[in-house]
Amino acid sequence: MSAFVEMKQISKVYPNGVVANKHVDFAVEKGEIHALVGENGAGKSTLMKILYGLEQPTHGEIWLRGQRVEIANPHRAIDLGIGMVHQNFMLVPSFTIAENIVLGSEPRKGRFLDRAQAIAITETLSKSYGLQVDPAARIESTPVGMRQRVEILKTLYRGADLLILDEPTAVLTPQETDELFLAVRKLVDQGKTVIFITHKLVEVKEISDRVTVMRHGEVTGRVATADVSEADIARMMVGRAVFLQIDKPPVRRGRVVAEVRNLGYVAETGRPMVRNVSFDVYAGEILGVAGVEGNGQTELVEVMTGLRPATTGEIRIDGKPVQGQSARRIRLSGVAHIPEDRLTNGVALDASIAENLAVDRYNRPPFTRQGILSPRAIQTQAVALMQQFDIRAAGSAAPMRSLSGGNMQKVIVAREFSAEPALLIAAQPTRGVDIGATEFVHTQLVAKRNEGKAVLLVSADLAEVMSLADRIAVMYKGEIVGILENGPHLTEEEIGLYMLGLKRDEGARGEGRGARGEGRRELSRPSRKFQPSRKIMQRRSQHR
Amino acid sequence: MTQNKTLIEAIRIVVVVLIALAIGFVITALVSKEPVAAYTALLTGPLPKISFENGFAITNINRFGNWMEESTTLILLGLAVAIVFKARQFSLGAEGQMLLGALATAVIALKLALPFPWHMILALAAAMAIGFLWGLLPGLLKAYLAVDEIVSTLMFNVIALQLFDLLLFNWLRDPTAGFVGTVPFPDSAVLPLAISGTRVSWMIFIMLAAVVIVWFLMERTPFGFELKMLGANRKFAEYGGINTKRVIALSMAVSGILAGLAGAHLSMGLLKRLTINLSPGLGFEGIVVALLARNDPRWVLVAGLFYGYLRTGAQIMERSSDVTREVVLIIQAIIILLITAEQLFPRFQQWWGARRNNEAAMERG
Repeated sequence: MSAFVEMKQISKVYPNGVVANKHVDFAVEKGEIHALVGENGAGKSTLMKILYGLEQPTHGEIWLRGQRVEIANPHRAIDLGIGMVHQNFMLVPSFTIAENIVLGSEPRKGRFLDRAQAIAITETLSKSYGLQVDPAARIESTPVGMRQRVEILKTLYRGADLLILDEPTAVLTPQETDELFLAVRKLVDQGKTVIFITHKLVEVKEISDRVTVMRHGEVTGRVATADVSEADIARMMVGRAVFLQIDKPPVRRGRVVAEVRNLGYVAETGRPMVRNVSFDVYAGEILGVAGVEGNGQTELVEVMTGLRPATTGEIRIDGKPVQGQSARRIRLSGVAHIPEDRLTNGVALDASIAENLAVDRYNRPPFTRQGILSPRAIQTQAVALMQQFDIRAAGSAAPMRSLSGGNMQKVIVAREFSAEPALLIAAQPTRGVDIGATEFVHTQLVAKRNEGKAVLLVSADLAEVMSLADRIAVMYKGEIVGILENGPHLTEEEIGLYMLGLKRDEGARGEGRGARGEGRRELSRPSRKFQPSRKIMQRRSQHR
Repeated sequence: MTQNKTLIEAIRIVVVVLIALAIGFVITALVSKEPVAAYTALLTGPLPKISFENGFAITNINRFGNWMEESTTLILLGLAVAIVFKARQFSLGAEGQMLLGALATAVIALKLALPFPWHMILALAAAMAIGFLWGLLPGLLKAYLAVDEIVSTLMFNVIALQLFDLLLFNWLRDPTAGFVGTVPFPDSAVLPLAISGTRVSWMIFIMLAAVVIVWFLMERTPFGFELKMLGANRKFAEYGGINTKRVIALSMAVSGILAGLAGAHLSMGLLKRLTINLSPGLGFEGIVVALLARNDPRWVLVAGLFYGYLRTGAQIMERSSDVTREVVLIIQAIIILLITAEQLFPRFQQWWGARRNNEAAMERG
């Protein structure tokens, strides 16, 4: 039986000399869900861009339905029945869902768009593939999960038989992920073929029939998913054994390091982003902050680190109030910060690695003595830290820009950890970094906790929070709606209910003193139906 | 690795200068009856002539002097611009700071009677102080009120120019002179000569010291580190705890000190008085020097000498050949344009590298 798609001996060399694909053979059978996994830079995106006509291979052939094809551009790919859903959605925010779906090949009434027809088309598609959308809603007012369904429907409307989904779960809540998986299965039942790009191994096991693993531009494994374990796939990806689970000794809580009381932040637009937040972080524990992105986590972290002024409330570090102080004073009080947006806040791309490692300490000995800066001291530190944290680069004078995402993150981790903080705030510390670096960051965070530091871990990746945190605070619309003890009894569903605003503990807001006396607030119920599924439960128990 | 880079950079500059000069020659050949003589004037004009015909003699020392004078001003202005550009603040205020620096020296020179060297030192200090202030104000506006520094510094230039004219016409002007200008400064407030037969003054030493000091400031002080981090990524600098508002305001103020000194050079060194239309547009030439030098003070010295040479040679070419001033300026602009075309050489390297890599990949495949 010949494959539905076959890419033979694909090589891709970019003009700057980077070899992204080396003699890659890749085949997908009709009607299967095929996972394509690999670390960042392994060449999986390039391979898929070639298949979708966004890049041309330097070498190699593409066969589709048993015939050799040339895919010069995405138009050609669409004509051939290949559709791709990108990680960053490409939708017009001010258009309705129906308008977005038909955009480019609209049903017309005379010279104008036939709206009724567009809505009818959308409803039919939506029904037949089980992808629920509201055709009349504008994209800008719909949640991320729905936007993704719109992207998928869009490709189906254009007649795609083969769907390429590029890291589709990166932006979803567990419930949304679950819905997506159901929809993907339904697509396959109806004869579609799906290529699923991801680096989350749990998902590979759960959704795919077969898996192709890439590393350094080459295929390192092509197996039936049922035959391998997560650890096997990880080994193929990284080239060595990887520890997916982190061993954590039981928590030994020490003193209160950070006390946050009734903290509020109103954005410049007048919108309250953080509302009446209170919590403590203890020495020797990791407090996780979960929540769908955009529910105030970013602002909470930036207020705590002095990058934005708090509007109300108090923050104390080791008993000393720090709200309203400069970022430098807060750092000197013992707070370190791994920022969520690495490229904007965490590094200066055009500065050297050594300078990046010194940005918080250049003005004190040994880097500056009697007002004179010592580039040598900055360099010496860099060499030591690069060795200690295993940062791979051409040298300490190399520009930050030359590093991979994982190594950049290691530079940030090296700087923030070596500051010897009492409180470490880590925001999305493994976003966009490869498995090897993720493992490294996780190990380091737990090591800090075991040393008796307080760690505040903010992450949109629920699995990350659940595997690392001792307690989990969930943020919803700027509030902390629950602080839960982590443990085997705690399920993703449970947290998901808090994340979606369906459940809240009034007591959670008033850790210690303060917020307890306030009146109950009405629960805001989202209109979308939510059905907990057995799937995630199973996934969770397998994972443990 | 860095040595290799420096070498490539040096080769790049030499190649580009040669290309630029060749294009310049083609243009000269198009407009001149005696292109070789005219171009020779441009290329060798600023050099003193050494002759052995009647025993050893150096002539045309004044042309060499012109080169040094021009370069001294340009280097001071180039340093001023390099500081703000390093911090990625696009301050264009050097012109106004220079004018006010010159104005301040005139006030001190003409309205105070002091012995040398105190008179001279006070005049220099006044020029630096007013330059500092005239940079600090738009700096504070940028830092605390987010006023775009391009707009504010250009406006400050307008204000400075009008202040200059106002004070010169109504207060400092010598009514008996046949032109709008002051009486000559007293000797106590004039910069002493460094090379006789020229107008090259002690300012050349001050300029050399300024190169060293600015280099030291940028590379060996915490402020320089802050400047660099601000320029590399403001949000990152803030995240690291740097008070970027302070650094923005200070970078523009410190830059003003050097522009103020450039103004003092014009009044106390070259003209020895204040005149109207002191040197329109000169303040902006510092941008060219800083761009050529990629904001590195050491290269500002080299670029200032190069650009000063080119400008002096152009003036000599204009005086001594049939090539008009406009054409000379065109040639000058083309040379600068080519040198600042950063991508010219990398593009070539990229193309070359890709070709080689492709071939290598083919061979392997």
